[in-house]
Amino acid sequence: MAFLEMIDIVKRYPGVTANDHVDLAVERGEIHALMGENGAGKSTLMSILYGLQSPDEGYIRLKGSTLLLRSPLDAIAHGIGMVHQAFRLFESLSVWENVVYQREPRRGIFVDGARACAEVEELARRHGLPIDPKARVANLPVGVRQRLEILKALYREARVLILDEPTAVLTPAEVANLFTVLRSLAAAGCTILFVTHKLNEVMAVSHRITVLRDGRVSERLVTAQTDPGEIVRAMTGRAVTPQIPKQPRAPGHVKLEARGLVVEKDGRRAVDEVSLQVRGGEIVGIAGVAGNGQSELIEALIGLMPIARGSVLLAGRDVTCESVAVHRASGLSYIAEDRARTATAATASATDNLAMGFHRSAPLARNGLLQPKALRSWARGLIERFDIKIASEDTPVGTLSGGNLQKIVSARELAHNAPVLIAEQPTRGVDVGAVAFIHAELLNVRDRGHGVLLVSAELSEILALADRILVMYEGRIAAEFARAQADEATLGLYMAGGTRP
Amino acid sequence: MTVAAEVRAHLRRHVRPVLPMLGAVAVGFGVCGLIALWVGLSPSLMFRQLLEGAVEGPQLFETIARAVPLVGMTLAASVSLRAGIVNLGAEGQLALGGCATAVVALYFPAPDLVRLAMALTAGMVVGASYAALAAAGEIYAGVPVLLSTWLLTYPAKGLCGFLVRTSLRDPSTAWPSTARIAVGTRLGRLIPGTPINQGLLLIAAVAVAVIFIDRRSVVGFELRLRGLNERFARYGGVALRRQTLGVMLASGAIAGLVGAIMVLGSQFRYTDGALTAPQYAWSGTLAALLAGGEPAGSVIAAVLFAALQTGGFAMERSVQIPRVLTMVLQSVVILFLAMRGAIWKRP
Repeated sequence: MAFLEMIDIVKRYPGVTANDHVDLAVERGEIHALMGENGAGKSTLMSILYGLQSPDEGYIRLKGSTLLLRSPLDAIAHGIGMVHQAFRLFESLSVWENVVYQREPRRGIFVDGARACAEVEELARRHGLPIDPKARVANLPVGVRQRLEILKALYREARVLILDEPTAVLTPAEVANLFTVLRSLAAAGCTILFVTHKLNEVMAVSHRITVLRDGRVSERLVTAQTDPGEIVRAMTGRAVTPQIPKQPRAPGHVKLEARGLVVEKDGRRAVDEVSLQVRGGEIVGIAGVAGNGQSELIEALIGLMPIARGSVLLAGRDVTCESVAVHRASGLSYIAEDRARTATAATASATDNLAMGFHRSAPLARNGLLQPKALRSWARGLIERFDIKIASEDTPVGTLSGGNLQKIVSARELAHNAPVLIAEQPTRGVDVGAVAFIHAELLNVRDRGHGVLLVSAELSEILALADRILVMYEGRIAAEFARAQADEATLGLYMAGGTRP
Repeated sequence: MTVAAEVRAHLRRHVRPVLPMLGAVAVGFGVCGLIALWVGLSPSLMFRQLLEGAVEGPQLFETIARAVPLVGMTLAASVSLRAGIVNLGAEGQLALGGCATAVVALYFPAPDLVRLAMALTAGMVVGASYAALAAAGEIYAGVPVLLSTWLLTYPAKGLCGFLVRTSLRDPSTAWPSTARIAVGTRLGRLIPGTPINQGLLLIAAVAVAVIFIDRRSVVGFELRLRGLNERFARYGGVALRRQTLGVMLASGAIAGLVGAIMVLGSQFRYTDGALTAPQYAWSGTLAALLAGGEPAGSVIAAVLFAALQTGGFAMERSVQIPRVLTMVLQSVVILFLAMRGAIWKRP
């Protein structure tokens, strides 16, 4: 009998069965990868294990005894911890306060700060997770925050640790570091469930792999006895050709330009004197670890954030400090990173979400009146073309999985066919097949002579698509490369704040 | 699609959104019934009196007459609520609009019909301008509309009260009010022998226009999506400032029109406090909230409230059940509607 078993799990949502009789077995001290495309049911399965959802059928057994998980509190009590993709930390508090929260060592009615601090330090040392217990979370880089999330789980005596896409926000060096930590945790008897899309990471760190497809287990693999091709086939049911060859192309006129841009946030310069140009027929990639000013730069370029100094030109027109409406009218479309808060309205239907931005002109509107039939067929067309898994075009998009929501956003913005496209994390959380499709679409935009500014935390994405690469570090452009001069190691160095040796 | 699936999809789209509203209304009646039992009254008698008082014979006309201004104020609230903007100052816009209407109807030198049209227009323009003041405050000075509309109510009512006590005062009456408006400048009776006047047609036209714009127009689409996620609307290229101004102009104009209809159709003068005493602005805000800003639902809720209020008056007269109970009913309905989110989300 395995250490942790999820047996015959079924979870149904209106219109879709997210988990369809799924079995998962994990041994003690194992690093187990859970893979699958969007909507395959990975997140649902893990939220059931962490007590966030209750299964319609099936049960969970830990060391042979059945668990009833009504909430994450129950899961934590049984030694199950989870590190979410979006960290759940008190930014204004210190590291030790975050770690001991709700389990504070006490002296009388007071929290024993000194003891808590010492405990956290000892725990960090024991697990090889160096961290300053007194540091403010707000001042910590992303990689360290993730370490803190892991410490939080360990402090609660987690014997099973769930990591949801843990490497999405890390530099290559931080990823290597995380893997070292995971291996040592596993060696110490901790069981690790690792949810990811990235094949190379799975090959590097996992012992065994469970692949989900359409809510069912499609394959159980032993990492040492498989290869990436087999995993992709198990995930998609087909072999995927990884990349479309890119045709060389001479860049044309400048379509988007920023001059000496300064953006202030919380009293500091989030963007510090950034100048850049995007020409027609080229993809300019911005590489960098999340939180180095990329989001603020992009929001300033599109008009969502006030500009303190400098100017923005769209096709030669000065649009500095103009509204988003003016930017869009001047020929800009934008795949926003924050798809749930910015790029969609969760309670609105797919029809409404896909129409936004097209709703003022023919064929979707005539003489200021919406054309219901045109709206419907527009939505159906995009849903079909981008293979979005949704019950109907009337369904609110808030019910979709992250990858499908991303497809809604990408489908809409790519359809604009605007002279400038800003694409921020356009494939985050999207499955392998859809990544290839969106990449091909981005190259298509470039080959039509439009300019593309691509922000991505995935170096592989930048390297595959960009003609020119800028690296952002602490609000500045730390380096610029032509594609031919760039490689992962050099970019990684600049992303981490290093300079050319 | 099979017929069964078609029916299910139809139900999902059109019936399910209305269910929480019906549920809340049912619970409201239930609670009021319990209160009646508790104080030793017969709930069946109470509800029968309420129903008869609302719809039996001439009472039906009373209900319709009350529904006209109430539906108007509800539309004023729902237009802004749909975009997630709360106009708490409809009462001030109503008073100023009514006062301006009275001034034009009394003193503007023109033939009767022209004067009537001018008086109605004046009410709308003044109501709209006053609401636009709040919008400008938010756009240029960052004062939230929620706050400014509410606070601007008091200067508006104060100004009207001052005018009817001084320069506009009709010394022949005991009340602080303007002179009586001439018959030719009034809105005529729509059905003779009832209090229903031509204002009904005006408000019906406004209701049809608002519902049509909400469902079919680009403007309505942008309003609705802003109400669902303001950041998304901005990201999608909706000009939020212009929209705020437009919403407040429309909301204020409707409130001003209601003031004009009350002055020209039933009161024939502007009397201090007479337009705001029935609290149509508050009932209207509640009705719009009940339907989540959706205009057709808001109108239905407003008519229901009008019936409850007329029924409540009649009940008080005939069986001495205080009509405050109908206000309790309204409040309980809204509270339960607000609660349903939390209740329904639980697995």
